[in-house]
Amino acid sequence: MILISFVLVAACAIALIAISRTHRQMNLACIAEALIFLGLAIYLILSNQIPVSTFLIGSQYFFIDHLGIYEVLIATIVFLFAAIYARGYVEGLLDSGELGKNSLRLFYAAWALLLLIIVLAFCSDNLALFWIFAEMTTIISAMLIAILAARENIDAAIKYIFIASISMLFSFVGLIFLFEISRSALGTGTLNWTGLMQHATVFPPGMLIAAFALVFIGFAAKSGIFPFHTWLPEAHAKAPSAVSAILSGVLLNVGIYGIIRVYAIVHQTTAVAAASPLLAIFGLLTVGIAAISMLSQKNLKKLVAFSSIENMGILLVGLAVSTPLALFWVLFHIMAHSFTKASLFFSAGILHRQYRSTISVDAVDEIRDVFRLQPLAAWGIIIGGLAIVGMPPSPIFFSKLFILLQLGAVSLPALVVLLVLLFIASAALGYYVISTFTQVSSAESPMEMRQYHTPASMKVPIVILLAVIVLLGIVFTSGEISFFNQIVTELRF
Amino acid sequence: MIDPALVQGIIRVLFVIVIITAAYIISTRNILSLVSVYAIQSLTLVLIALSLYTLEGSSVLLAIAIITFISKVLVIPYFIATIQERVRIRRDIEFHFLNPTTSLLLSMALMLVIYITLSKIVEGTPARESLFFFGAVLGISLMLMGMMVTFSRKRAISKVLGYLSMENGVLLFGMFVTELPFIIEFLIIIDLVILVLLTTILTVGIDSTLEDYHDRLNRFHLLDDTEETP
Repeated sequence: MILISFVLVAACAIALIAISRTHRQMNLACIAEALIFLGLAIYLILSNQIPVSTFLIGSQYFFIDHLGIYEVLIATIVFLFAAIYARGYVEGLLDSGELGKNSLRLFYAAWALLLLIIVLAFCSDNLALFWIFAEMTTIISAMLIAILAARENIDAAIKYIFIASISMLFSFVGLIFLFEISRSALGTGTLNWTGLMQHATVFPPGMLIAAFALVFIGFAAKSGIFPFHTWLPEAHAKAPSAVSAILSGVLLNVGIYGIIRVYAIVHQTTAVAAASPLLAIFGLLTVGIAAISMLSQKNLKKLVAFSSIENMGILLVGLAVSTPLALFWVLFHIMAHSFTKASLFFSAGILHRQYRSTISVDAVDEIRDVFRLQPLAAWGIIIGGLAIVGMPPSPIFFSKLFILLQLGAVSLPALVVLLVLLFIASAALGYYVISTFTQVSSAESPMEMRQYHTPASMKVPIVILLAVIVLLGIVFTSGEISFFNQIVTELRF
Repeated sequence: MIDPALVQGIIRVLFVIVIITAAYIISTRNILSLVSVYAIQSLTLVLIALSLYTLEGSSVLLAIAIITFISKVLVIPYFIATIQERVRIRRDIEFHFLNPTTSLLLSMALMLVIYITLSKIVEGTPARESLFFFGAVLGISLMLMGMMVTFSRKRAISKVLGYLSMENGVLLFGMFVTELPFIIEFLIIIDLVILVLLTTILTVGIDSTLEDYHDRLNRFHLLDDTEETP
């Protein structure tokens, strides 16, 4: 029933968008959709019905367990704030003519649909169904990137579609492998995650490794893991900032979620001995590439995008450690990263509106007098930057600390390498902030720059998100702990 | 009933046709014929599915044959051909790092490698009929050949065709290795259609009022910076 209400709400939102005339109405429909989705998710968590498996009666395709509802919760929260933010941001795009009036309806319809598909993806029990939804999120989000109709945007969107879709085809071959493995082991083939988990112990490890490696390719591309990360900086930097927040805060999670699910199956067998080094190596490489690319980055949104790649690498390393505690903190890191990254993109969006120099991706930001012109965005970047680097009361501090501790227990060299890379990434972020934010126009030639009037709807999400992040870092309730523990038990780590 | 040996012979012939079409897609410079060759390749897959149906009698194969015929032989090629008429791109003579001859040689090498790797993987499991094994090898090879097309062509529209040919490879592989539930196949087709729609519309440029239509298309190249392609 819940699943049907998700679909119905989204259908209503899209219908409302189709009939509404003004931007405000369309935006309101999206905010309402995200709010209702959030309400439904919270209702599910509080009503203690999880895990629920019979949503569409007699079908094996959908289910909701703790991991699924957790990801849905993160997604809806990020979508809610992004929709509020879009109210002011898209208005600005319309005023400056960057977004055509005719594309507006398409933009919001795709937005509402994207949220629905992401929720459905997280509720799919069948891995092939999850694959299809994940593939659809690529297409729809590419539409959101290309909506600005600049040549760079279309290029970025097409690059994203091709890299992600091609890799996802490899994933699909991996799923066919998995299906065949289960068919030869069980008699009837299944791709149901719950079914696969139940019988995972009887699967032949050799075949399972091949299947895992293939599946990994696709989901790694979705989540920007090296060497499939090349689409990510461009797409995230070129997309409208409200969309960048979603891409970084929600869509990357879709890929990681897929990897976690399949890895959980592999973890039940001896094949994990080969799979976990694979994850660790790719994780370290990803962090390394991201950290080194961040050093020379002069464009704020691109810098933040590379920081997303870095965090996905950390998640992979944490997953590779594959102890229950490491998984616990990986899950926590997913949430912390999503919220922090969304707030960073929101702040970067305000600066982007103010300075507008970054028409081309590689353009150097000409940020000056930032504290006089956009104090909130500047502080948003600074606080958000401190949080993403992992300064103490931020939630990322704890997740990074415990992932590193767990990693150190497994392999000391890996820990040292990761620490150095994380240091480089943090230094790059700090260097950027210090070198650009201290630029003040000289007294002799005061720069004539009109202050961009930031609407309240763009400021509020940043403030609330930063408050949520601080709160997450300071308060850690027993309810949270038991919730995460339940996910860990359900994944059988 | 039809003699199974005859059907197996027919499937082998169809395999050869698939290889020829794949080789053509890799090497041709003419975009118009690219679409028709893609349609022929899909039609060959339909025939393979039908022949398999006479062998195994599974209704899923019949259903796959029908939706493949409708979507990949009729709808998608028709759509791409219409777009091409409108944008008037006839030839795609720009290749990235591979020219046709090298890519043909490379794809032959690929097939060999895949054959050897797959026979190693299959070794442990109960030996399967050689026909099914060949189908799997061919499926993966077709997929990698399609990938070579997407990476070596500059025009977005030939990239789309490369992707479609990859997808054909996956379908072939899926048909011979195992039997997926029909609903999955069906949803994949829907996904594919949306993808083709979107990429081709993007190719034309979603907002053609801003600039001159053809001017835009002439400038429209994908991935000018070759180093960034994985």
